[in-house]
Amino acid sequence: MKKVLSLFLAAALIVCLCACGTQSGQTQQSEQQPAQNEPAAPAEEPAGEPVHLKVWGSQADQELLKELCEAFAAEHPESTWEFEYGVVDEDDAQARYLEDPAAAADVFSFPDDQLLILVQADALYEVTRNHDAIAAANAAGTINAASCNGVLYGYPMTADNGYYLYYDKSVLTEDDVKTLDGILAAANSAGKQVHMDISNGWYLASFFLGNGCQLTLDADGSQICDFNNANGLAAAEAIRAFCNDPAFITGDDSMLQGGIGDNICAGVSGPWTSASIKEKLGDNFGAAKLPTFTCNGRQVQMGSFLGCKLLGVNSQTRHPVEAMMLAEYLTGEQAQLRRFEVLGYGPSNINAAASPAVAADPALSALAEQSRFAISQHVLGQYWTPAEAFGAELEAHSEGDLQQMLDQLVEQATAK
Amino acid sequence: MSRRKKLTGIALHVLLTVLAILWLVPVFWLVLSSFREEKGAYTSYLWPKGFTLANYQRLFTDTRLFNFPRWFLNTLFVACCCCVITTILTLMVAYVYSRLRFPARKALMNVSLVLGMFPGFMSMIAIYHFLKAIGLDQTLLALILVYSGGAALNYYIAKGFFDTIPKSLDEAAMLDGATNHIIFWKIILPNSKPIVANTAIKAFIAPWVDFIFVSVIMKDNYKNYTVAKGLSTMVDKANIFEYYTAFCAAAVLISIPIVLLFIRLQKYYVGGVTAGSSKG
Amino acid sequence: MLVMGSGCFRFRQFGKGLLYLLSELAFFRFFFGFGWKYLSHFDTLGENKQFKVWNEELQIYQRVPGDNSMLILLFSVLTIAATILFIYLWYLNLKSAGELCLLDAQGRHIPSFREDLRSLLDSRFHITLLAAPVMSLVAFTVLPIVFMVLIAFTNFDSNHQPPGELFTWTGLSNVTDIFLGNQTKTHTFFGVFGWTIVWAILATFTNYILGMLLAILINHKLVKLKKMWRTLFVISIAIPQFVSLLLISRALEPMGAVNIALMKLGWITAPLPFLTDKTLARICVVVINMWIGIPYTMLTVSGVLMNIPSDLYESAELDGAGPFRRFTNITLPYMIFVTAPATITTFVGNINNFNVIYLLTRGGPFALDYYQAGKTDLLVTWLYKLTVDQHDYALASTIGIFIFMIVSTLSITVYNHTSAVKKEDMFQ
Repeated sequence: MKKVLSLFLAAALIVCLCACGTQSGQTQQSEQQPAQNEPAAPAEEPAGEPVHLKVWGSQADQELLKELCEAFAAEHPESTWEFEYGVVDEDDAQARYLEDPAAAADVFSFPDDQLLILVQADALYEVTRNHDAIAAANAAGTINAASCNGVLYGYPMTADNGYYLYYDKSVLTEDDVKTLDGILAAANSAGKQVHMDISNGWYLASFFLGNGCQLTLDADGSQICDFNNANGLAAAEAIRAFCNDPAFITGDDSMLQGGIGDNICAGVSGPWTSASIKEKLGDNFGAAKLPTFTCNGRQVQMGSFLGCKLLGVNSQTRHPVEAMMLAEYLTGEQAQLRRFEVLGYGPSNINAAASPAVAADPALSALAEQSRFAISQHVLGQYWTPAEAFGAELEAHSEGDLQQMLDQLVEQATAK
Repeated sequence: MSRRKKLTGIALHVLLTVLAILWLVPVFWLVLSSFREEKGAYTSYLWPKGFTLANYQRLFTDTRLFNFPRWFLNTLFVACCCCVITTILTLMVAYVYSRLRFPARKALMNVSLVLGMFPGFMSMIAIYHFLKAIGLDQTLLALILVYSGGAALNYYIAKGFFDTIPKSLDEAAMLDGATNHIIFWKIILPNSKPIVANTAIKAFIAPWVDFIFVSVIMKDNYKNYTVAKGLSTMVDKANIFEYYTAFCAAAVLISIPIVLLFIRLQKYYVGGVTAGSSKG
Repeated sequence: MLVMGSGCFRFRQFGKGLLYLLSELAFFRFFFGFGWKYLSHFDTLGENKQFKVWNEELQIYQRVPGDNSMLILLFSVLTIAATILFIYLWYLNLKSAGELCLLDAQGRHIPSFREDLRSLLDSRFHITLLAAPVMSLVAFTVLPIVFMVLIAFTNFDSNHQPPGELFTWTGLSNVTDIFLGNQTKTHTFFGVFGWTIVWAILATFTNYILGMLLAILINHKLVKLKKMWRTLFVISIAIPQFVSLLLISRALEPMGAVNIALMKLGWITAPLPFLTDKTLARICVVVINMWIGIPYTMLTVSGVLMNIPSDLYESAELDGAGPFRRFTNITLPYMIFVTAPATITTFVGNINNFNVIYLLTRGGPFALDYYQAGKTDLLVTWLYKLTVDQHDYALASTIGIFIFMIVSTLSITVYNHTSAVKKEDMFQ
């Protein structure tokens, strides 16, 4: 007497299998091209057939992205262009990409610290067309950040993913902000606080990097981190002293944005907070490179990371050549200048960076000054959590043995 | 005695007031932030320096980047559909387990109970690819399917309720020639208003609060976001300073329909969970 | 008997025969058009990596698509499930044909399609009702879970991600890695597991007891405006958790609203490290979870309370039992009996309580002796971070399986020994 059940199962099966069946044809074309020995001929579009490209950008960039893409289409009337825009924040680009590479954008933006994972997953086309021109037009640091083992994978779009010091000119003088001690002394006498997010590996590293420690990758992609040597220990002592200073305050960017001018007189952050801090401080707005700190009795300049946002061309795209043309256009000198005008992003293009408007921007010039002490961010994902743990312990005024803590940090960061 | 009673009464009310204040402080803080004139997620003082309605206005006028009205309608649509589908499915399952006896019943019940305990987001990527294979990725329909797909797992409260409806009602109907089908619609459902309300409220709320599933399923399809996903992008590193107060305003707007629904259906909700065992 | 439904056609059951036939066709179309492509690589999860070829004319390294291990695994699972379903259908088809022959030989009535359908509304009603829920369950819960379980036996991590790299079967190495191989991971697993259990117990029982007390308070006969009080507490439920928890976690920052307020009141001189000190953070998440959970418990319990027969209390009062005795002797046993199943699910829900922990502390304060985890991390939040931040899918699946095993054994045992469940027929 299972007839009825079978009836039902039959119907059910038909429904779901038909649904899969009708789609399978399409899926096959779009993502499962059977492996061939000959490379698939790039889609040679007959004239008139539109080139469809999907572009990802963060929410704030959408308007400008549309404007630039339309300008690109106007400059290239030889094909008809169809653009599709997706909102994917740079921070999520890698995660969204890896979930489904075939559905990801043909051209997408991401911060350079995601480059390694994307390259490992063979997600990006190498920048081979016009390589030399692109390499020459952008600052060497950004080309380095967009490269992996000497191969250029990304089109540098901005060069402002770094950090420096913001300060309130009504409390601190230009002399004060040269040294951390000077800042702390002035802040203490004014009853104000100094902000730095020590429990964030990105900012934490500046002490270690300044004192000559290494955080980078070796040739086969393993993490090198020597924060537990004598230099690192000295830097850690300096961090502990800073955290134990009464004027020290931690917290994320929101804390700095909300508190500067009120209870905070100086803080470390990047260009993305620039507009809001300018708005709060008005004429008292000050920006400078990071200060020096006292380490074993000497003054040592704090180091930093300088990252950039890159455009990548998806290795799954059906129109690699066209996508590369678009990526090159979107990261060209004109586009970068326009991006600076509209959004205030610092250009990676050497000419654009040298333009009077960019040079006059105090935040970006502070960044440029700091960039002399900055390195590219070649860090694996496993570094961040132990670094945050280390910073958090010092923020909580832990009395723990620094050497032992550093050993643990390094062990976790370099774990295979 | 009556004097003592009066004192006890006052003491109870004082205690309740204190507790209620504790519970409402974060709510008050949210409303306060939503009217705050100064931007940003953090202020170094407690009371805002100025008040404004602009945060609310902005949600409806400044829709270039954050299309709140559209997201609101998306969510409302998904929530209503889920509400209907989930309620029907849950009640069907609960009824089967409570009333009908068939082989494998116990096993099915145990399996359903256990399946719901697997951490859900582990399977998100798999679900995304299944949906993509049938051409539903990045659609609202996919969200509805996902949210109501687990309905069969949440049968236990409704089942407990059905367990208490006297079987004599069914039997009487059966004598009149009613089939199981008719009994379900004509006898069980009309007697189950509380449990219907309870299930419906829960199903209705789910789409308003989830943002993780939406991220995986909608990916870059900004137009089909729900409010929860949209709101969570408002507090990204890049947007939080500019949009934090608008975010609070949006949260206030979301919670209004839910509060109204709660007030309206409170008696069912209270009854629903418990009536199942009322004669214990 | 290769053509399904032929038996039905022979005995003029056209509707049913057609359904069988269609399902067979659909299956074969699915299997050969879609499923086999993936299933044939199931043993290795793909051999051909995507590779590149220099194209001089276009000046690019053209990509030659390779296999995608994840899709192979995923759609193999789907295909296997469809095949099992099909074989079962085949078996039913043969069986029904046999039954039809028997009925025919005995000269009895052969049910028409219409009659079959009608029985779905009565004697087979459970099939009608369960069909849709079970199908959605299989598609959206069972198959993905099977997929995730299989991932635990592969090396799917950040170094083996499609499309550029393939992953493959590695047997039990993830399990041994957690328990034997890597000291930090073992330490983290047991540390996080221990806190998960402590958390689940604390979170469940604080909410349960205090929620009950609140409900008793509101239901006290001297309290006026009961409905208003209940509504006041319920408002906090209506705010989406990701909003309220974000607000609270900001308020608990070192210079957040709570610390400012406390310092203004002069109760403290230096900010309290609410979410950065290990112990204080753990206390905070439990307390804040009470803020979230007590209104729910209060609602649930209120109804039960109103249903406790008042004569029980009256006779107890006559016996001279004070309020406390009445609570322990009448209210509590009654409540436990009635709400036991709901409490078990709450307990399990707390073991997997992603929202409260992740949105409040993200698992922090992070610890140097833990592998990618913090002191308030639950297994489930740790697992989430391993997938999203570290792309360590294989390890995360292994942890997922452990959570699942612990939780399911626990709840099945308790659930099936609860009196409310055992006596499910009591009132019928």
